[in-house]
Amino acid sequence: MDKIMEFLPFMLKGSVLTVELFVLTLVLSLPLGLPFALGSNSRFKPLSFLCKVYVWIFRGTPLLLQLFFFYFFFPLKLGVKISAFTAVVLTYVLNYAAYFAEIYRGGINSIDRGQYEAAHALGLSRGQTMRDIILPQTMKAILPPTVNEAITLVKDTALASTLAVTDLMKATTSAVNRMTDMTPFFFAAIIYLIMTFVLTLIAGKLEKYFSRYDAKEEW
Amino acid sequence: MERETVLEMKNIIKDYGSFRAVNNVNFSIKKGEIVAIIGPSGSGKSTLLRCINGLNSITSGEMNLKGTTGMVFQHFHLFNHMTCRENITYAPIKVKNENKADVNKRADELLKMVGLENKGDVYPAKLSGGQKQRIAIARALAMRPDLMLFDEPTSALDPEITGEVLNVMKKLAEKHTTMIVVTHEMGFAKEVADRVLFMDHGVIVEEGTPEEIFENPKSERLRSFLSSMLRA
Repeated sequence: MDKIMEFLPFMLKGSVLTVELFVLTLVLSLPLGLPFALGSNSRFKPLSFLCKVYVWIFRGTPLLLQLFFFYFFFPLKLGVKISAFTAVVLTYVLNYAAYFAEIYRGGINSIDRGQYEAAHALGLSRGQTMRDIILPQTMKAILPPTVNEAITLVKDTALASTLAVTDLMKATTSAVNRMTDMTPFFFAAIIYLIMTFVLTLIAGKLEKYFSRYDAKEEW
Repeated sequence: MERETVLEMKNIIKDYGSFRAVNNVNFSIKKGEIVAIIGPSGSGKSTLLRCINGLNSITSGEMNLKGTTGMVFQHFHLFNHMTCRENITYAPIKVKNENKADVNKRADELLKMVGLENKGDVYPAKLSGGQKQRIAIARALAMRPDLMLFDEPTSALDPEITGEVLNVMKKLAEKHTTMIVVTHEMGFAKEVADRVLFMDHGVIVEEGTPEEIFENPKSERLRSFLSSMLRA
């Protein structure tokens, strides 16, 4: 037990990096998904084709492969040195934006045509219609799958440990190696569970907020 | 004094692929006039209405619209994420850039006019169909359109609550609001309209005062339509 106390600060430091990786990816990929979603729905064929190819590539290849690709691509092909952390964030953002784009697209397509017609009849521009009428109404529908992806992201951050990034996973495996004891795995599991639990709590609050205009039982 | 023409349509044709939904329609409406369009389902009534405000493009013909239109849909299409008040005030504030206080004052008046002054802060999901449609009418009126279009405004409602919507429309008629009403409510057409159009297969078959249309139908098609409506 004394031994794990010795390694726990090291693991907590790794946890901070994991959280940083998670937050940074989410903050950048959530908005980036939107242009790809709108692009996929565009009537301008070349644009929708490009957006669909983007989604196809990033959803259709292993995240680990993408991780290594970008890690090596910049120094080898462009001669630019980037840190492992930057390569990881870049890869995760591009990858998760593809998943979020598909979630958003589904949400947008679930809105009744009548909402567009009413907006048109009132003289709203296409931008106003999308921003103020359609997108707010997709929130409730896209929230559960988005939270699902966010929870997957918490766990996917562990892949960063394959590069020179000392996240929770990397800190844990090196603790296990040095202690020659498996206890750190259990501590890591608990820390990951706490992270996903906090996410679930936030999701519940958001779900309630976005359901405020439902009829439900509040009659 | 001759009243000004709000809308004039000449030789309007609307095709969906090889199907001709509206076939060579000529039609005009003057300020303050109330026109009812009747006819069987699929006769092109709604399509014609949707051509007027650009929800449908016309295939050929000439249309001259002076001013703006407001539209009331069969299925209301209220913005579900906005309260009734926000539904009414959004477009005047965001589209016409009107002063918020003025628009809110107008919303109060409109809510009162449709008899829902206590529902301003309620979301549409909490309203009955008849209440939703009355809010939808208020929303359209808030833009102060020159021509109000009603696309079967009571067809999605239970028979016992169509009255509350028709009463609001009668109030508008008393204020000489220019309106085109596509409807299956023969009683309303007879009582409120200045002029009634009977459409079938994309064509205006007969046009006249309510007396002419309902008391002395000339064509066989109108006679059989009216008798089928009576049986229903």
